[in-house]
Amino acid sequence: MSSTACFVIVSRNDSPIYESEVGTAPKKDEAAHLHQFILHASLDIVQDVVWNTNNMFLKLVDKFNDLLVSVYVTAGHTRLMLLHDSRNEDGIKNFFQEVHELYIKMLLNPLYVPGSRITSPFFDTRVRALARKYL
Amino acid sequence: MEPEVRVEGGSMIRVAVVAIGEMPAAHFRDYVAMLVQHTKIPLSSVSPYYTEHQKSPFSQQPWETGSLMLKFMVGGASRSPWEDFQAHRKILGVIGLCHCPLTPEISAAYEQFLTICKAYPSAQVTRCFAFHPTDGQIEVDDEKKKEFLVMFPSTDRQELKVHMQTLMKDFAASLLMAFESWVLHLKPVGLTTPLDSQVSLNSDELTKKRKLGRVQKTMGDYCLLAGSPSDANSHYYTAIELARLTGDSLWHAGAIEGYVCANVLDQNGYKDSLLEQEVQYRYSEVIHLYRKATALSFELEATLKLARFLCRKELAKDVVELVSGAVEWSKSLMDASDRLVVNVEAARIFAAIGYDRKAAFYGRQVALLYQQQHSHWASVSALQVMSLTAESYKCLSKAEGRDKQVGEWSTLQVDVLYDMLSAAVRAGDALAAWNAAARLLRNHYPLIPPSSQLTLETALSMSAERLAPGTRSSEPAIPFVRLHSYTAMPADREIVKRTATKNEWWMGRTSTGPFIYTPFTAKGDVNTRIPVTWVVGEPVEVLVELANPCVFEVTVESIALSVEHDQFEAFPVSVTLPASSGQVVSLSGLPLAVGSLTVRGCIVKCYGVVTEHLFEEVSEWGSVKGTALVDPFRSGHKVRQPAQYEKVEVVPPLPLLVARAVGGEGAAVLYEGEIREIQISLSNAGVVPVVEAHMTLTGKQLQHVMSIGHNVLEDALPLPPGATVVVPVTLKAGAPTPDVDFRKLMRTVTNASSPMLVIHYAGPSLTEGAQAPPGRRVALPLQLHVLKGLALVQAKLLSMEVAANISSSISDPLAHESEESLVKMDPYRGSWGMRLLELELWNATDVLFEIVVTTKEADDGGRLVEDSECLYPPTRIDRDYAARVLIPLERFKLAGLDKASLARASIRKESMLKDDAKSKDGAERQAKAELNTAIEELSSKICVRWTSGRNSAGELPIKDALREALKASVLKILLPDPLTFGFRLAKTSITAPTLRSARDSGDLDNLPGSPRVGLQKVEADDGGLSADNKGGIGVRELAPIEMLVRNNTNEAVNMTLSVTCRDVTGTSCLGSTGSKATVLWAGTLDGVNVEVGALGEVVHRFALCFLVPGQYTLLGSAVIDSQPTHETLSYTGPPFAVHVVETS
Repeated sequence: MSSTACFVIVSRNDSPIYESEVGTAPKKDEAAHLHQFILHASLDIVQDVVWNTNNMFLKLVDKFNDLLVSVYVTAGHTRLMLLHDSRNEDGIKNFFQEVHELYIKMLLNPLYVPGSRITSPFFDTRVRALARKYL
Repeated sequence: MEPEVRVEGGSMIRVAVVAIGEMPAAHFRDYVAMLVQHTKIPLSSVSPYYTEHQKSPFSQQPWETGSLMLKFMVGGASRSPWEDFQAHRKILGVIGLCHCPLTPEISAAYEQFLTICKAYPSAQVTRCFAFHPTDGQIEVDDEKKKEFLVMFPSTDRQELKVHMQTLMKDFAASLLMAFESWVLHLKPVGLTTPLDSQVSLNSDELTKKRKLGRVQKTMGDYCLLAGSPSDANSHYYTAIELARLTGDSLWHAGAIEGYVCANVLDQNGYKDSLLEQEVQYRYSEVIHLYRKATALSFELEATLKLARFLCRKELAKDVVELVSGAVEWSKSLMDASDRLVVNVEAARIFAAIGYDRKAAFYGRQVALLYQQQHSHWASVSALQVMSLTAESYKCLSKAEGRDKQVGEWSTLQVDVLYDMLSAAVRAGDALAAWNAAARLLRNHYPLIPPSSQLTLETALSMSAERLAPGTRSSEPAIPFVRLHSYTAMPADREIVKRTATKNEWWMGRTSTGPFIYTPFTAKGDVNTRIPVTWVVGEPVEVLVELANPCVFEVTVESIALSVEHDQFEAFPVSVTLPASSGQVVSLSGLPLAVGSLTVRGCIVKCYGVVTEHLFEEVSEWGSVKGTALVDPFRSGHKVRQPAQYEKVEVVPPLPLLVARAVGGEGAAVLYEGEIREIQISLSNAGVVPVVEAHMTLTGKQLQHVMSIGHNVLEDALPLPPGATVVVPVTLKAGAPTPDVDFRKLMRTVTNASSPMLVIHYAGPSLTEGAQAPPGRRVALPLQLHVLKGLALVQAKLLSMEVAANISSSISDPLAHESEESLVKMDPYRGSWGMRLLELELWNATDVLFEIVVTTKEADDGGRLVEDSECLYPPTRIDRDYAARVLIPLERFKLAGLDKASLARASIRKESMLKDDAKSKDGAERQAKAELNTAIEELSSKICVRWTSGRNSAGELPIKDALREALKASVLKILLPDPLTFGFRLAKTSITAPTLRSARDSGDLDNLPGSPRVGLQKVEADDGGLSADNKGGIGVRELAPIEMLVRNNTNEAVNMTLSVTCRDVTGTSCLGSTGSKATVLWAGTLDGVNVEVGALGEVVHRFALCFLVPGQYTLLGSAVIDSQPTHETLSYTGPPFAVHVVETS
């Protein structure tokens, strides 16, 4: 079964700093951008939802057709956003937590300027591995 | 489905607005604008035009507070199949608008209007408004009855508005009366909907009840339209009951909708949570009922109505759910335009609750739906929607969206811009296409692969072809433009600020040279702004950096400075930038008026479109972090913070001096030491006279400038425009400059090693109190190209020795000091004090030199003044020849150089301070210092002048060489010898026979005469020897001679004396056959051992007998045998001449 998943990290100033298609469905160029458009649009809802919960994991915040948006907000208001079509909440939660740890490790790198684009191939590999594991 | 549905929509009276006759779009817009001001007409104002023909069915009409709502359908509307279901979908009135001046046939126009009205059978009230009728048209009006034609008198707009208001009240009153009659005569027939055809009605009873319910609902609708919600409520209530009973779910839902609408209207715009809850509850029922009736579009409409009603930040969650549900359901809508409407509504509702990104997302969906329609108008609409969403995606240039750094999602931006580009291409909007492509290239070039960049370039040039020439766009494209620097005024036009109070205004304001940055001016604040001053009417230059980071070549058709000041003329240039390159371009312009201005950026014409590139826009590029795009100016050098400039100050015209050296390119070719006067011509090229001017010298080697004609310049002031003054400057060439290629001579003007003539000048100051206009500074390098002239090969101090005539007496050598003769004779060593300075000069040039030696004397002021008198006739040195110039030092009267005094001083010191080594050192040092000052004095007094050709003359710079030479040789010559030798004729003579025997034996060495001290007394022969003495010694006479040897050291020495005698002037010695000259006679007397005490003197007597008359020379020498380990030292005395004469 193929699944669609698009993972994006959005920095606190609303710019994407990491994007990757982690789904197993064959990649379509048009769709990739549609996924990002959906994620971009759901930022509006996220900004409201974060005030109504104490959890970092905001669960499902938005949907478009059969695509769902789950969001995890770090303490620094960096948003980990996942567009997916499966309803595996626990797996998504675990995925977010592990990616958050990865992101913290990224922040510990003195050469990484917070809020700048993540270009580390290591990070990318790890995120894809986590996606395979949990999603 | 219709856009912009609202809960209150049931009270809207639809009025079609159509244009009649010839109607220009601008006028139509104008009339419609007047019309749409009357969308809400209060019932209170309608009442004067209202007449109650029969009892009104709207019993509870709120005449005081209620109002009629009009909805103008401009351009008309098509008939809806749902007109029976909802009365507000009907066109209930028609208004025709006619522009009379363009429609002469008013009757024909009215006919047209009537035809149009027939298309709207539901229209109750029709009016045709004719604007600006001519007098003829008004008359024609009377002929035939035109019931609904209203002519507006030709007056001003304000009055027209008043007329319009009155007519609209009348129109509203007519509508109200029409509704009344409609409701009164309503029959329960023909109230059907498209859905009914499929439903087969079972029983007549049910049908009848249904019809009753539908009639009640329709009556309620009209009550709502008539502005009477309370009446509507009662009708709706009945309708709801009936519909529920009969299961007429569509009409049931419609009745509830109407009921909610009436309730909301009843609240008169006041919303509270209770009402909201009620509406929410009612509408959920409505939605449910519509779903049951399978009326999807109504269901979605109801959903959107509810969402719009709840549109509040606090209820955002509900709204989002409703809207997303609606959008999701809309997928199953058959009609594409209905889907479009849903998306449009979704975007609008999200925008209303402040969800811009959501709104942008649905806006983009709308645009995509439009684009699927493949029609021109759809593409135009798509483009319009796209440009709206582009704003939300922050795709716009910085000029429009300041907060570029926040929320930039470049992937999406690129997508949106590509969509815009394709929509614009389809819509045929070349400018929009150009803008989209320009934005893509400028803002996102790192993300665009090379092939796509080329496509975009093609798009740019294609759209440029379709654009009118000179099209302007607010969108800067590539290349990137950045301010590099303001070019400082060229060195010959430099501006110096002056303060009126200060006399020497240029002091302390010396220019920093060609460099804008100096570490001294910029050591404080980094943000120090550099002031820039321009002069009216003088061209200025600004350096601008261009960068093209794309893979194609960019041709900038023209680029010129853009200045916030219209009094500036910019000169455009064109540039071609190869792929991925940067370039610094110099842009020039001409300020035309006084004031301050800012150079904002550049006006660039590239790809057929003129855009303005602002400098500040690009300076932000470097600071964007995170999503940082690569700096477009990366080519070649580091990212650089451009210098901060103040506003450019434009000052009134200033004088402009042009300085140049007459008869040369500012570079005089001189020989070393040459003195020449050059002419500096100063001309005023400005339009203002030069009132003050001051010449100063800066730079290195100022000593080379001997005089400047200050007074010439002073006399010439004020210098009117166009005038020229020639100032003489005397230069003296210094050391030769290193070899310069003559072709590059012009380029070495900035050579720092030459002195600069700096002229500060200024025009007249303005009126009192005003800020004095700045002065100016012109610098002219007095460029000297110095060639090597005569070379001093070596300088030697020579002591010339003239043999002293032997005589019978030796005078005290110390007594000779006062004598003033050129050659002083020392009895001990012949001539003394005859010292010469020999200069060996080599002429390496290709001209002829003549050398004159003069002396310089210190005048009263202590300055050295040259003695005009030559020491001797000029010496001529041809090219490639060397010559020696002898300078007798006697002329210089140097006390320190006197050997005798030196000797005396040393003797005195040595005798007095024998034991005190320390004092001796001091004395020596003192003597040395004395000597040095003497040498210094001497070298500065000698002046060797040369002339060459007609007009070049100079002085040899030999001072240093001279000093060195003197130091080396002076000690050798000036220090006293350890031993001095002297010869004198003894008073005693030796008898002839002895002499003769001695001559016979041929050995003069064995001549009698004691070599010992304490000689035997020889009988004096007074036979006239003393008398003959001056004439010389007679031949074949035994001449008794005494040799005096003096020890000048303070040690006793043992030595072996020897005397050499030789004939130097034999007749054959001289003459042409000098090579065969033979010394006629020579002999040596040696082996005389004597010991001389310290400072002692010894006399050695001997006799000589000369056989041949002539000139002989006697030379004494001594070999000192000191310690055996030491080498033997030998000394030779000066020669003494013996003149042997023939005696008869």
